Amino acid sequence: MNKIFSVPLPESVTPTNVSIFWDIRMPRALTAFLVGAALSVSGAIMQALLQNPLASSYTMGVSAGASLGAAFVIITGVTGTIFGMFLLPVCGFASGLLTVLLVLAFSLKIDRNMHNHTIILFGMVFSLFVNAILTLVSTLNGEHMQRLVLWQLGTFSGRRWIHVLILLICLVLGTIGTALYHRELDIMSFGQEQAMSMGVDVGKSKIMLLLLSSFLTGAAVCFSGIIGFVDLTVPHIARRIFGAKHALVIPMSLLLGGAFMALSDMVARTLLAPREIPVGAVTAFVGAPFFVWVYFHDRKQ
Amino acid sequence: MEQKILECSELSCGYGRRPSDNSIIKKIGFDINEGESIAILGPNGCGKTTLLRALGGIIPYEGSACIEGREIRDMKRKELASYVSSMTQLSGVYFSYTVKETVMQGRYLYCKNIFGTYDKRDIEVVDECLASTGLEKLADKQIGELSGGQLQRVFLARTLAQETPILLLDEPTNHLDLKYQAELLDFLNVWKEKETQMSDGRRVRNTLIGVYHDINMALMVAEKILLIKDGEILCFGDKKEALSGENLKTLYGLDVEYYMSERAKLWRKEE
Repeated sequence: MNKIFSVPLPESVTPTNVSIFWDIRMPRALTAFLVGAALSVSGAIMQALLQNPLASSYTMGVSAGASLGAAFVIITGVTGTIFGMFLLPVCGFASGLLTVLLVLAFSLKIDRNMHNHTIILFGMVFSLFVNAILTLVSTLNGEHMQRLVLWQLGTFSGRRWIHVLILLICLVLGTIGTALYHRELDIMSFGQEQAMSMGVDVGKSKIMLLLLSSFLTGAAVCFSGIIGFVDLTVPHIARRIFGAKHALVIPMSLLLGGAFMALSDMVARTLLAPREIPVGAVTAFVGAPFFVWVYFHDRKQ
Repeated sequence: MEQKILECSELSCGYGRRPSDNSIIKKIGFDINEGESIAILGPNGCGKTTLLRALGGIIPYEGSACIEGREIRDMKRKELASYVSSMTQLSGVYFSYTVKETVMQGRYLYCKNIFGTYDKRDIEVVDECLASTGLEKLADKQIGELSGGQLQRVFLARTLAQETPILLLDEPTNHLDLKYQAELLDFLNVWKEKETQMSDGRRVRNTLIGVYHDINMALMVAEKILLIKDGEILCFGDKKEALSGENLKTLYGLDVEYYMSERAKLWRKEE
């Protein structure tokens, strides 16, 4: 507070407290918020685009690709001097995006109209395939297993302001890009053929949205690891509260997802303090039953 | 005087790698004049729906298909969508839009600003479409709560909101109970006599092209009938001459006149 508003601090607050709050807690909470927001927005895109309420940001194989990239960095032990602490996230991001591009290229090659089931199928096949490589690689390099597993589980500890800044830029760009397509998302969630006959350039919109979604997920994954269920659950909650129009679903998913992730991280940090639970465990623990409830509640109507 | 709105020649389409590989529609040619109502009839799998999809720009085709002299494949999506709207068979809907939001989507191509907001004219048109399909009372309901027939009407309203002079219908009476079938017929018969104002201000008489399951339905809506068998045109012409007993027999492999008259007997009061 005193930094922003120049309010004098009470005597009881020591410089150490300030430092803990300002240098550790704040960046961590903000990173959690931004990651949650990015995952939720990208989940909302995937569900509408693929007309599948079970689709998520990981459907395209981003997470598997990113894990493999990260594993590669961890195992080879490359410590780039230029990238420094950014080597791991950058590699994760790049390989995640590369996987998505491969999935897209193959889907296009096999099925020129890029039907949803082709994309989902290729996304799944690639995820499984990359996961198999990952298992193989990590079995052969047992000594690095723990670090890799920890990376995959996801954590926000040790995040600094620079992470917040990069994520914020990614989130803002990704969300603005998505917002430009909100009507296309609405229309395409009713089916591609109808969308075409209504004047939507389905091919272009679809590729743009898939890339945007993967970009957001990739950015989130490379700074936090693979955290599940936020992307799946939050858009459904947003739809239930604010209706299905993406002009609202997108910003609301962003806010809800961010808040949910920040809370989950707080729980992960404090529940068994001083030990930390992986935040992915918390989101799945809350998210899974919640998802079942939201989804089947919808069905009954 | 008759203005041609749609001209097809050597038109082939199908689902292979190229439209000419095992095509379903095989090099057919026909012209449709502005203001006509055409019914496409044929047995299952003869390519009726495929033909509609090619005309709607949804699948690629070979040969030529021109709207007002312009090749469909060369038109931009939005441009084509301002000429042709189509209502295809239902697909699943997973998200809970309201009826009004759904019909509003039909105005997509008229929306020019990047925020995607709708103007007064859009809202007027949507209200009109809701009224003419009897959906005013359901406007704020979520589409997930509707019956199949109601949903069908929502999609019809959405198609109408597109305001095009050419309307393609693929078995529009599916899911509709008798009352709404009759209402839809009345509605289509009124619609086809009207004109649509294009964005450049020209007025174009409405043209209706429909695939119907039911021959009676076709007789009630259409003036001309296009009979398709195995991807080729069996006959195209005035409904009286096209629907001769001979043609129907070839088309369906069934003595349709006899079948229909037997069915009609069921309605006759005992004498």
